[in-house]
This record gives sequence, C-alpha cells and structure tokens, in this order.
Amino acid sequence: MESQLAQYIPVLMLGALAATFAFGTLLASAILGKTGYRSRIKDTAYECGMLPVGEGSARFSVKFYLVAMLFILFDVEVVFLYPWAVVYKDMLVEHAHLIFGSMMIFLALFLVGFIYEIKKKAFDWKS
Amino acid sequence: MNISASILEIAVVLLGVVIMLADLWTPPKYKSWLGVGSAAGLLLILAGSFFLQVNEPIQAFGGMYVLDAFALFFKRFFIVATMLVLLISVEYSKKFQSGSGEYFSLSLFALSGMMFAASANHFALLFVSLELITITFYILTSFLRHQIISLEAGIKYLILGALSSAFLLYGIALVYGATGTMQFDALRAQSANMVQSPLLLVGLLMILAGLGFKIAAFPFQIWAPDVYQGSPNSTTAFLAVGSKAAGFALLMRLLMSAVPDVALSWEPLLMGMAAITILYGNLCALPQRNLKRLLGYSSIAHAGYLMMGVAAMSLNGSGAILYYLSGYLFTVIAAFLVIILVMQHTGAEDIIQLAQLHQRAPGLAGMLALSMVSLAGIPPLAGFFGKFLLLRAVLEQASVHTAYYGLVAVAVIGVVISLVYYFGIIRTIYWEKQQLVADEIHVSPISRVVLWVCAVLMIYLGILPNRLMEAASTAVESLKF
Repeated sequence: MESQLAQYIPVLMLGALAATFAFGTLLASAILGKTGYRSRIKDTAYECGMLPVGEGSARFSVKFYLVAMLFILFDVEVVFLYPWAVVYKDMLVEHAHLIFGSMMIFLALFLVGFIYEIKKKAFDWKS
Repeated sequence: MNISASILEIAVVLLGVVIMLADLWTPPKYKSWLGVGSAAGLLLILAGSFFLQVNEPIQAFGGMYVLDAFALFFKRFFIVATMLVLLISVEYSKKFQSGSGEYFSLSLFALSGMMFAASANHFALLFVSLELITITFYILTSFLRHQIISLEAGIKYLILGALSSAFLLYGIALVYGATGTMQFDALRAQSANMVQSPLLLVGLLMILAGLGFKIAAFPFQIWAPDVYQGSPNSTTAFLAVGSKAAGFALLMRLLMSAVPDVALSWEPLLMGMAAITILYGNLCALPQRNLKRLLGYSSIAHAGYLMMGVAAMSLNGSGAILYYLSGYLFTVIAAFLVIILVMQHTGAEDIIQLAQLHQRAPGLAGMLALSMVSLAGIPPLAGFFGKFLLLRAVLEQASVHTAYYGLVAVAVIGVVISLVYYFGIIRTIYWEKQQLVADEIHVSPISRVVLWVCAVLMIYLGILPNRLMEAASTAVESLKF
C-alpha cells in the first residue's frame, strides 16, 4: 500500500508545480503590472489597428442548442448500439432473450422520443 | 434475471410514456385531463402493489435491485405522494404557458426514479435512480420559464445538484476502491472489518454529503429556501415530500443495510447534523414573510427531525421516520394546495395575503390552520404522533450514549421555536386586521377531494396510528439492522 502511494509522488509534485505557476503568475502580475500610465485608448483591445465594433460575443440562434441536444441523443443511441452489435453473436447462444429484449426495449423507448421530436417539430428548421 | 420484481416501476414508466405520447395529440383545452388520467393510472398501480408478496426479499438484476417490505412501503408512499402532487398540479398547470402534459409525464419519470431508489441495493442503481430524480427536477423547478425567479431556482438547483452528484460519485469510487464492491450485501460483509479504513470513511462521508443535499440537511441545505421559493408550487410540494423521502430511503438503506458498523461509529456525527439542522431550519424560518420560503426553511427543520430517527440507529427510529414521512406528506400537500388556491390570482406569496382568509374561504382557512398545527406537532394530529415516535426512539437510545438527551432537548427547543412562526400564520389568517382587495376563491372538485383526503388522513394518522405503525415496523425489519 505504502509503495503504491509512493508512485504518485511525481504527480503530486507536478500538481504543486502547476499551482505554484498559476498563483505565482497571478501574484507577479498583481505586483508588477498596472503600474504604467493607463488610458481608455490603451486599454482597448488591439485588432490589427482596426477599431473594435459591436459585442465581444456574437448572438446566434437558439436552434443550434436544439441541434446539439438532438445530436447527443442520437450519439448516445449509437454508443449503446455498437458494443451491443459486437457481443450480439456470442451472447445469442445462451442469453438470447436478454440480448435481444434489452435492446428492443431501449429502441422502443427511443422510438417514443423520436415520435415526440417529430410532433414537436424539432426537426423543422424553418419554424 | 427476475424482471417481474420491478413490475411496479415498469408500469410507472409505461404510464409516463403513454401520457407523453397522449399529450402530443391532446388539444390544449383537455390537457389537464392528462394529469387526472395519470393520477388514476397511479391509483391502479397502487392497487396492484397489494398483490405483490414480499415475505422474502426478492433480488433482481444481479443483486442490484431488491424488493423487500421496506422498498414496498416506500414505493407505495411515493406513488401516493405523486398521485397527490399530480392532482394539485392539475390545479396549478393553468399557470404554465406551455407543456403541462410534459409536466405530468416528467413527474411520473421522477416517480420511477424514486421507486428504483427505494429498491437500490447497489451503488450503481443508487446513483442512477438519484440522477433520474434530480434531472427531472431540474426541469420541474424551472417550469415557469417566463419567470426569472423560477429560472433562478432551476439554475441554482442544477449547479448545486451537479456538485452534490460529483461528491456522491467520488465517494462511491473511493468506497469501491477500499472494498472492491458496490453491492450492499457484499459491502456489509466487507466493511465490518474495515471500520478504521480512512479510504472507506472518506468515501462514505462524501456519499453522506451527496445524500445530505437531497434531504437538505445541514450543512447541505443552502439551496433549499431559494429553490423552494422559486419553483412552481406543485414542484415545491413534490420536492418537499418526494425528493426528500427518496433521500431518506437511500440513507437508511445505506447506513443500516450496507455499512452498519461504520454507521454505529457515526452516531455523534449524525446527532450533530440532526441538531444543527433542526435549529437552523427553525431559527431561519422565524423572520420569513414569504410563505413558500418559510415552508422551505420549515422543511429543513423537518429534515432535522427525521435525521434524529437516523441518528437513533434503531428499528424504532427507522419506523418512526417512515411514520413521520407519511404524516408529513398529507400535511405538506394540504398546505401547498391551499397556497396554490389562495395565491393563484394575486401571484404574490407574502403571508399577509392570507389576512382574513377565514371570511373569504373558511374551509381553506381551516385546512391551512390544520396543516400548520400538524406541522408544529400539536396533538391529536399526524405531526404530533410522528414527533412523539421519533423522540421516543431517541430516548430509548439514551442509555447507550448520553448525548441523545442533548438531541432530545434540541428537538424540543426546535418545536417551541417553530410554534412561533406556525402560529404566526394562523394569527394572520384569523386575526389580521388588514383588509385586502381579494378575488373570490374558486375551489375545483378535484382540489376539494384532495383536501378532504389530506385532512381525514392527517387526523386519522394522529388518532389511530396503529395500522401504519405496524406497517412501518414490519417494513424496517427488512433493513436487517
């Protein structure tokens, strides 16, 4: 047990180094920085000499969130389907009901979600 | 494989799916019937649960899931709780601008999580069922999505819920690292000779933190008042009875079935948590003027009383928890239904809105007064008998550990403090001079039925507690304590 834990000493050292670096930089910039002459113009972001225009973060349609969520749903389905397909043949010999039934239940629940999405017009980009 | 053991959960999930699909083809005018329909479905499932025989614990899914008397008691409790919550949310769902059908099916999915939690016999099922409850509650708390306060409640619940899940999961990982098992029966055998193992203790402490969040026990209670205040009223009631009871079911199963030896050495810790939770909840409730916030703090105090039963570490203590939760269920549902009815037009939630309620609606005024009296613990109502059982269970243990006397003293002080604010509400109802311009209060037949059921059961459980006490004591015997 002791020797096992001792293996983690380099990790601990790396962690300590990271913490020292992070907080040291913050401390150093607090001590050394912000002492020079400052003005509004000096504090503006430098964009190749162009004057910055508009907001820093652009707005985009909320539909992209919907797309992202739908993507995750279908992604998770595939995540389950791949390993299932890999072991299907081996498990079919002894646990035929288990391997087939559990995936059918999962897909049935998924189908319900699919119907829900269609009826809620989640795939309808224009509306 | 013994899938038939989880027949009740399967039925609830199917009901939820059917409601979700039916919602898609239901015109908006008839949506509230979906709520009534799901409550009726639950009534059938509840009736079906009495055909299950659990003389011997039935294990399923490789020992992950266990169906015993304890699990069955909690399953019935959750079904009744959800049924009542669904009925009061039918009343409340007029406030939702959209998606009242989803509200009902989400409540049913949360119920299935709670029912799985009651049967959890493995850390994986514990975690998954808890997440099923919590994730549905993230949506349920922020259901009034055009009100900033409801969104705030949802975000707070989401962030703190994620934090507590992280604690829980890390704790589970540490326990697995220490013992090499996640199954409770195996853990029981393993942990008996590992009481001193720091890895196991730290892991269990983190799990306690994660479950403490669910039941809003000190020092994990910070989220409760804000979330209770901001959520839709029916969700607040569901949080107070459903989510909290699920946390207690898991806590009792974990401490008493999985790691009894560690739990016994934790008695002082649990006592301390209970005592501080009682004092914190009651003292913070004193200055509150917002009714829902006040009930939020009072629910923290009640979590403290319930923690006393856990700290007692005895069969009587556990039985008292089951009894107390049942009484608390009907009391809280009645209180929130009255709040929904009285405040649905005004939108404000200040206690002063209740002024002269006995002239506007004597029935509702009496109902709210009755539930406040029961929450305060005045005989002959359910709240009194629950507190009596808890205190008796704690006093029985005082021969083991004299600190239990201190816990009883704190609990009594807490009850005395709570009288001030509970009776403050009653005083406002009957004796406040201020006259408000108030609308007429319309009570629908469904609400009338729910109120009657709650009132009758509150009084019944207070006067004739034997039936439920027997059920509770047979239920806790399967905890193998």
